[in-house]
Amino acid sequence: MTKELEHSFVSQLEENQNIVHKICRLYTQDSDSHNDLFQEITIQLWRAYPKFRGDSKFSTWMYRVALNTAITLYRKSKRKVQTQDFEGVSFKITSEEYDDTVEEQLKVMYKAVKDLNDIDKALVFLYLEDKSYKEIAETLGITEVNSRVKMNRIKEKLRKILNP
Amino acid sequence: MDQLDILKQKWQEREQEFPQLSYSDIYQMLLKKSSSIVKWIFIISIAELLFWTLLSLSVPESYSTIYSELGVETIIFIFNIISYIIIISFIYLFYKNYRSIRVTDNTKKLMSNILKTRRSVRYFVMANVSLFVISTTIISVIFYMNSSTLYEVMDFAALGVPEDNFATAFIIVQIIVGVFFVGVLALFYWLIYGILLRRLKRNYKELKLIDR
Repeated sequence: MTKELEHSFVSQLEENQNIVHKICRLYTQDSDSHNDLFQEITIQLWRAYPKFRGDSKFSTWMYRVALNTAITLYRKSKRKVQTQDFEGVSFKITSEEYDDTVEEQLKVMYKAVKDLNDIDKALVFLYLEDKSYKEIAETLGITEVNSRVKMNRIKEKLRKILNP
Repeated sequence: MDQLDILKQKWQEREQEFPQLSYSDIYQMLLKKSSSIVKWIFIISIAELLFWTLLSLSVPESYSTIYSELGVETIIFIFNIISYIIIISFIYLFYKNYRSIRVTDNTKKLMSNILKTRRSVRYFVMANVSLFVISTTIISVIFYMNSSTLYEVMDFAALGVPEDNFATAFIIVQIIVGVFFVGVLALFYWLIYGILLRRLKRNYKELKLIDR
């Protein structure tokens, strides 16, 4: 039974690992911490997995646990992990749409998002992932109206940072 | 179009590049130990519960003679009962709050439950310190009023302590030790809270502000 559970968990996480990677990249500064946070999120997901009933999609359920781990539970540890270095956002590029300025703007924008506080960052992340305000509100435990209001304020804040 | 919306569009259109982990990479991670803040809170809390429980239950054998000589046994007995009640009710409270911490709850609830668990331990320690201060004060006053009996029972003459200023010296030593003890505790808690909960508290405040 445990083996089966392990297998289905690892396969699903392997398939959806980019969600976790995106959160790790937003919430950490170097690849060591990135991998460390990934590790912690995996442990937390695995612990909560037996209670995962499949009444929502695995990925939806992952957002909550992964974000909670990044914002609330994660403490930097000295545990050693194998690393590969990378910095900031890097999108997979298709040849026909390569454009330096767009790429540059994206980098600046991404950096501004990364500099937000933990909570604002979570809001923006869910927004970028195209989650509804209802879902954002439910994930963070705030009201839907206020998540919308807050999002508009963050947009305003970002606008000011980018166009001083 | 908003700049954030441009980022969103690209975010949706194109996958970001990450080093992909294999099945066995992820499987290996399941075997590792968590280093989450909840784990640390649990360890520290258990250590505190144990420390205070042992401290409040341990009275040196030699003290019982002094207590009976000075007739304070009833008071000590009452303080012990209060102490047991504190220990049992707080261990229950801590356990209940700890069990309520679920990573699948929404962020605000998760944070609130973690802080509640931590608070139950802090109240436990505060209750113990208060009990300690009150009982020490009462017993010191009784000792002070019966200082000559205490002087004889503890055989201070054999230690070369003069009887003249004994009572005053006794009280001063009690006060100094008491203040030092409370000071060390305050420092200890300031450090623990500072290191462990600063980020959590800040984020919780930030979340609560959104709904204000």
